[in-house]
Amino acid sequence: MSENIIELKNVSFAYNENKQILTDISMKIPYGKIVAIMGGSGCGKTTVLKLISGQIKANSGKITAFGTDITRANNKTLEQIRTKLGMLFQFGALFTDLSVYDNIAFPLNEHTKLNKTLKDIIVAMKLESVGLSGTQELFPSELSGGMARRIALARAMALDPELMMYDEPFTGLDPISLNTIAMLIKKLNDNLKQTTILVTHDIPITMKIADYIYFMSNGKVIAEGTPKEISVTENKSVQQFINGEVNGPFAYKYNSNKSYDYYLGRESI
Amino acid sequence: MKNLIQSIGRPFSSFILMLGETSMLLGKIILSIPYILKRPQLIIKELFFSGVLSIVIIAVSGWFVGMVLGLQGYNTLQRFGSVSVLGSLVALSLIRELGPVLSAILFASRAGSGITAEIGLMKATEQLDAMNVMSVDPIKRIIAPKFIGGVISVPILTMLFNTCGILGGKFVGVNLLGLDSGIFWSQMQDSVNFHADIVNSIIKALIFGIFVSLISVYQGLSSKPTAEGVSSSTTKTVVHSALAVLALDFILTAFMF
Repeated sequence: MSENIIELKNVSFAYNENKQILTDISMKIPYGKIVAIMGGSGCGKTTVLKLISGQIKANSGKITAFGTDITRANNKTLEQIRTKLGMLFQFGALFTDLSVYDNIAFPLNEHTKLNKTLKDIIVAMKLESVGLSGTQELFPSELSGGMARRIALARAMALDPELMMYDEPFTGLDPISLNTIAMLIKKLNDNLKQTTILVTHDIPITMKIADYIYFMSNGKVIAEGTPKEISVTENKSVQQFINGEVNGPFAYKYNSNKSYDYYLGRESI
Repeated sequence: MKNLIQSIGRPFSSFILMLGETSMLLGKIILSIPYILKRPQLIIKELFFSGVLSIVIIAVSGWFVGMVLGLQGYNTLQRFGSVSVLGSLVALSLIRELGPVLSAILFASRAGSGITAEIGLMKATEQLDAMNVMSVDPIKRIIAPKFIGGVISVPILTMLFNTCGILGGKFVGVNLLGLDSGIFWSQMQDSVNFHADIVNSIIKALIFGIFVSLISVYQGLSSKPTAEGVSSSTTKTVVHSALAVLALDFILTAFMF
């Protein structure tokens, strides 16, 4: 058995011929580790998660998840793989017409035949694990951003997935909520022997909890290594990102294009 | 020249693409029926949202349309000394045409737009993606119940519209303008045929229900995940549904009556 739960080999993806998102990226996610994918907005981090969860298909390359090549998998195989993974979306993606209890019980209702008593126990345990016991009757509209994300985390954990993927879980949170979520990610990964993929641009937290970091820019992996290695890398793009510098290889300005030149009267269409 | 040809061809190719996507969606919904049958509570929830919550608007609209028909019919028929056939006029107008058409359009405005907005917002807030990642097919869990709820609701709402309309027409013709109640009901009984009129009315409503519900769920699924995108799709649901219902009504009437 491979020591990696997920492997991406020379993967490229484009929504259409004018919009190349990922170019020839390769990644290895070992069992039991927290692997962070970092990079500026729009560099293709979330697309990697979508490819791993089978929401979109790679144009070329190979993605192996749990030992199965998902680039060639049929829907049934994909469904089986998805039951082994959980995903926390950027803003939680809780079902707004369902209560907290029903949100967490949703995967249990869909994939198990557990009786109500057992479901109640599991939901209570998951709520306890994210520190929100007693909120089961609330609706998503009654929760703060941080609470909603913790409930979404409880829902993603309902079936005890082997792999957890977090899509920018720290965005828009106050420092207390941010540290709470980070602590939860670390605790759940270690206690439940899970594997974690963390997509984020929060540098201090990532340096603290990640075991390995892939750094992306313009749809390519430009650096990789342990937090220590990344923090001392000489790659200018990484250094610019870590230090938050305005000037550097990361373009601040959007590239001028034909229609803009036409607008300025520089060119005729 | 190339641009001109492209600008002419683009709407046609978009329309063909939309037809193809809608047909595929309908196929997926039909394949989801066994899943839905195991979970009738999903349909009951949608029946409440689409059907029960539309009862007031349908009943009140039917009542007023019937009153207007009674008033206009009475004034016109009086000129020809044929006031006695007011019951027939009100009932046939409602059962054959106005009931199915107006119910479907009202349904599209109240429930159809709501369905589109809900699905569009679920898409924009990644709820459909979350469902996919949880290995739950949104077509089975969300789209098919909404579609079936709509298809069941429209014929029932149409019958309610017809009933309220006839009562509205009777209120104006008999209670306000003094037509004999016996004549009103007996003329109606003589002229309305159960199979030719009432059954066809239900079939019309069923077909309108299929189209309006399909347009509603399709627009929700194809909406752009932005506030503007959801708003645009909601508008399209009402406009496309109204046009589809009116065009279909002509075709169905030509075959049925």
